[in-house]
Amino acid sequence: MRKLLRVGSASTVWKMLLMFLFSGVTFGATGLGAMLLMILLSSTHLGKDASAKHGISVSESSRLGGLAIAIVVIIYIAGLSAISPYTPGLMRNDDFLYLWGAVFFCCSLGFAEDIKPDFLTPTLRLMAKFAVFGALFWLAPTFIPKSLGISVIDFLLSVPFLGWALVTVFAVGFINALNMADGANGLVPGIALASFAVFFAEYGRPMDGALLFACSIFFFFNVISGWYFLGDTGSYGLGAVLLGYGLLGVVDGHFSAGFMAALFCYPCTDFLVSVTRRWRAGRSPFSADNGHLHNRLHQFIKVRVKSGVMANSLTGLVVSGSTSGVVLCAYLADVLPSDSELWYLLFATQVLLYLTTLRYLTSIQPKTQYADPA
Amino acid sequence: MRIIPLFIIAMGLIWVGVLESGASSVNDFKHHASGKTLDKQSSIRRFLSVGFVGDLVVKKIISDGRRTIILKGNENFLAPGEVSTDHVDN
Repeated sequence: MRKLLRVGSASTVWKMLLMFLFSGVTFGATGLGAMLLMILLSSTHLGKDASAKHGISVSESSRLGGLAIAIVVIIYIAGLSAISPYTPGLMRNDDFLYLWGAVFFCCSLGFAEDIKPDFLTPTLRLMAKFAVFGALFWLAPTFIPKSLGISVIDFLLSVPFLGWALVTVFAVGFINALNMADGANGLVPGIALASFAVFFAEYGRPMDGALLFACSIFFFFNVISGWYFLGDTGSYGLGAVLLGYGLLGVVDGHFSAGFMAALFCYPCTDFLVSVTRRWRAGRSPFSADNGHLHNRLHQFIKVRVKSGVMANSLTGLVVSGSTSGVVLCAYLADVLPSDSELWYLLFATQVLLYLTTLRYLTSIQPKTQYADPA
Repeated sequence: MRIIPLFIIAMGLIWVGVLESGASSVNDFKHHASGKTLDKQSSIRRFLSVGFVGDLVVKKIISDGRRTIILKGNENFLAPGEVSTDHVDN
């Protein structure tokens, strides 16, 4: 029993107490149940990841965080559908059915990778993602935005085949960006948490509520213990949900494209900067390296903080809090209407902050540790 | 094998919140159908079941869901016996 619940050293007991305290206060008995489920899943041998294999982690962890989130959401939605008048969108709307089909496919693709790393080649995975999102936007063209507030892009989107191709490429890029950014405790979970909080506050959909609940519990677990990663199941699955909800929000006119750009600024900017850096260094744009901003920030923090887990979690919290967290706060404080184009200004500020911080950290850290361009 | 009782406990605890959310939603529909006003006060039972943040989530789901006959495919609540226009169209 002690082994199952990871009860060992005093610090482990404190971490467990803190995790149960946060989940209990925020989500009551349900939160305690979800936390217990996540702890049990993280202690299984399935999907174990050695510390050196995942980003900046310092301990052996499980990659089944995405599976845990999926189980909690499915239990909640299935239960609510069975005992209340709630009808999930996918049961009565074709567009939502296609979206959740794409989400399921992305989760399955990620799950195969979590259980057996390199089970599918990177090219095959990329092709599979192009196929699934190509099919999604072909079957449900309502997901393709008509206006982003930038005339050149709006013109390109208005050409039917070109619009479909552009949105498909963007979707695959977005999923990969979120996967690439998943390298510090609380980083992608924090972005997902802020995004679902925004979607839930705007629409009040039970599905958003369930995702907000599951992501919150995972966020506490991930930040406090560092024993659990989203894994590819989580980053692909959450990426597909966020992409679909984000595109629908822009299409419906509830959110401007600038708002979404600011909300997802970190994964998108980091993806573009990383791909450019690798291309300039003459390497494959998708090859892994430690030159991401969160890697460099972690190098900076870890010499100032004793605990490895705390340095890792602080890195994730600083990045997600200063990007998506700021957007969430501005949205809740009603600083700007969510459909205002002025959100592009916040996005531009975030990009500037990203580039300035990256430049500074690159200048003070040894070059040999990273794959910088010559 | 010792993991199974713990899994059952975890599932049971999650179901406490599911039941609380579902029951609150059904009660709201009953109140709504009979023209009564919904009790806005959080009960201790709900607080223990779904917690401080969960209580806000459940309240918003109920209040939004009731008046949401939402546009194009966003999830909504259907009152017992009610048929959405999407169903008819499809």
